[in-house]
Amino acid sequence: MDEAKEAVFEEARDYTGAKLGMWLFILSELLLFGGMFILYSGYRYKNPADFHHASRELEVVLGTLNTIILLTSSLSVATSIAAIQKGQRKLSMVLLMATMALGLLFLANKGFEWGTKIEHGIYPNSPTLLARSKGEILFFGLYYVMTGLHGLHVLVGVCVFSVMLILIAKGTLNQMRFVPLENAGLYWHLVDIIWIFLYPLFYLIT
Amino acid sequence: MTSTGAMESIRPRISFYEDHGKYRGILSWILTLDHKRIGLLYFIFVMAFFFSGVVLGFFMRLQMLAPGTIMKPQTYNSLFTLHGIIMIFLVVIPAIPTIFGNFFLPIQIGARDVAFPRINLLSWWLYITGAIIVVISVFTGGGPPDTGWTFYAPYSLRTTVNVPLAVFGVFILGMSSILTGINLVTTTHRLRAPGMTWNRLPLFVWAIYSTSWVQILVTPVIGITLILIIMERFFGVGVFDPAKGGDPILYQHMFWIYSHPATYIMILPAMGVISDVVPVFARKRIFGYMAIAISGVAIAAVGSLVWGHHMFVSGQSDFADILFSLLTFLVAIPSAIKVFNWVATLYKGSIVIEPPLLFCLAFIFLFSIGGLTGLIQGALAPNMHLHDTYWIPGHFHYIIFGGMGFGLFAAFHYWFPKMFGRMYNRKMAMRAWAVMLVGFNIFYFSMLLLGWEGMPRRYYDYLPQFRSLHLTATFGSWILIAGLILMFANLFRGLFKGEKAEDNPWGGATLEWQIPSPPPTENFEKIPGIRHGPHDFKELENNG
Amino acid sequence: MENREVKIHPVKYRTYVFVWMGLVILTGLTYTVAVGIHPAGWAIFVALAIAGTKSGLVLNYFMHLKSERLVIFKVIIPLVMAVFLVFILLTFSDVAFRGVVK
Repeated sequence: MDEAKEAVFEEARDYTGAKLGMWLFILSELLLFGGMFILYSGYRYKNPADFHHASRELEVVLGTLNTIILLTSSLSVATSIAAIQKGQRKLSMVLLMATMALGLLFLANKGFEWGTKIEHGIYPNSPTLLARSKGEILFFGLYYVMTGLHGLHVLVGVCVFSVMLILIAKGTLNQMRFVPLENAGLYWHLVDIIWIFLYPLFYLIT
Repeated sequence: MTSTGAMESIRPRISFYEDHGKYRGILSWILTLDHKRIGLLYFIFVMAFFFSGVVLGFFMRLQMLAPGTIMKPQTYNSLFTLHGIIMIFLVVIPAIPTIFGNFFLPIQIGARDVAFPRINLLSWWLYITGAIIVVISVFTGGGPPDTGWTFYAPYSLRTTVNVPLAVFGVFILGMSSILTGINLVTTTHRLRAPGMTWNRLPLFVWAIYSTSWVQILVTPVIGITLILIIMERFFGVGVFDPAKGGDPILYQHMFWIYSHPATYIMILPAMGVISDVVPVFARKRIFGYMAIAISGVAIAAVGSLVWGHHMFVSGQSDFADILFSLLTFLVAIPSAIKVFNWVATLYKGSIVIEPPLLFCLAFIFLFSIGGLTGLIQGALAPNMHLHDTYWIPGHFHYIIFGGMGFGLFAAFHYWFPKMFGRMYNRKMAMRAWAVMLVGFNIFYFSMLLLGWEGMPRRYYDYLPQFRSLHLTATFGSWILIAGLILMFANLFRGLFKGEKAEDNPWGGATLEWQIPSPPPTENFEKIPGIRHGPHDFKELENNG
Repeated sequence: MENREVKIHPVKYRTYVFVWMGLVILTGLTYTVAVGIHPAGWAIFVALAIAGTKSGLVLNYFMHLKSERLVIFKVIIPLVMAVFLVFILLTFSDVAFRGVVK
């Protein structure tokens, strides 16, 4: 069957189809976070004052910095894809490495931020947190789950990019064939978009 | 439609069974990229889980024969939980899209495979992984889950049994479901043969297409909800824990945002089967092709807005009660459109009575009862009385088993000759059908009556006044199981000893009937050009 | 099939840099506005509007939605927004009205 089946795959290697599949996956991911946003809005509606107070305790500077980092990484991955489309392989690889570095920097910042909070005794189910009002418990519960889930996506993105980097280095991905990189880029932008909403909803509650 | 010209002499037609590809033996199945083989893989495992679900159900009914003598209350709690988890997540949700969607959707649109064959295989592996995790959760930790398949908080956060693992298994199953949905939507968009326009798609394709959208859009919501249960259990995050400010009613919202549309994930594909089968045996074009196609999309859309009708007594706001009740009545409209269309298709048709049609007729009858009882409990005042009684399982078994189940059996009997190249004993199939139909109604109608009289669901015991109806229900369950055994024995025998099936035993006009039985690996020697709709039997006859 | 991939016209680097600058400016804006807005009730809508604009930039330019030709790509984002909005509204039909009528 090999020949016949190979023919099938050649035919199935459909650029638009591959992107459509990725977009559908992104749709699904958006609603995964959407579920969390439903909970967030319900609880924020019920506990506006507690959410405000708890939000004051987050490091706004770190949050803003992380926003800039992630936006910049989106720029670098977008240009990396444009570079490979133009046949500038080296530039594409450098930009991809920059993206990964920015992703890791984001995670390091996040880790630092979590670390400081945990040091202050604020983490799910901690005695310090349980002593506070219910709205604040909820705020930090949501904060840890949502930023944690987002961080996990960043981590997955960095791993995917390292695979892409190898594929570019090996020449599997090139000017003629770049869909996997483009799809990985789409995923990364999705992660960026989620953060674009997480940032004001956690750090900037007035 | 496929050419019988030069290509045939170059490459002899061997079926996808003989063509094992790169690997041999079992590997040629579990590592296959062929959509037909993957469909059959699902077939085997979905059926295996269906039987374990039936056995659990059998023991539940046995308990009701003589409460207290057979099992302890905790065992009964585990039984109905496992029966629910297995039947819903492992059988009913995946069954038609993964078995028949995989096998026939690409063929029906004139494609050689799905859009992403590797992801298709990954979906199957995720399904198996999720299933294994669910099975492991039964035997490890604090014992099998006892929360009911709904995992309602806060009980699911407190109970000592093995909830996290079961929940994680269901999460993995959700991923499998999403990937299948993505695959089938992309396939429908990108791989239709030339001339296969949207208004020439077989209605089964339309149904699977709508279903896949629901799978993509709502499954992630239960995914995150289940993750949160795990987070609650391990880290005490507090989002569903009333002691920490969490709101258990929000859990119910999140759960039903998925799980109500999930009932449409179950029933829509079955409706697609019915819409494809009825015209073939009425020898008549379907009545209102577009109305059926669009009503499927409408069911998918409106069906996603009615989840709150599961929560009328949960303490949600009166405003929400009224709103969700209204929306529930609206979703009855597209469902009813379909029923009218099927009946109108039969009207003045040249009806040929064959097993697939009989199962379709049973579907229409049982689904109508299920739908009408649904309207009764969807109204607010009766719901107060009926909520959490036997009426509810009675109703949804009429929909899920009577509807989706009989739709699945119709699909078995309709596509069996195509999938396996052999024919079962048709007389025996009709007998099995009759036995099942009788057993089904004795069983589940008694449940409706029990609920009407106030018997609460999920109780392992009952007051003396319910005894006679419980006995009737258990008696009916035995007849139903006898019918199931008869049906599967007949199909199983047909698999090995049945006479060879022709390419088009029913005279269907859709593409799968124009290729050999069983189909060759690449389905079509050359991608067909489509010139007519799915039920144009006249053109078929003219072509010979 | 390979030909189709080649026919893509890569976006100019300059365009991406401009978009990025826009995104950074909007981030600054959302930060400044959040500190200054009274009454606080409106703040969340302003914040969400800015976040929506930023997402729009990312979707249209970085993710190339603007240059996709098939209808399905144009539908996806409105669809997901509509679904999400309906989920939120229906959930709030409970959350916001609980105990109001009773």
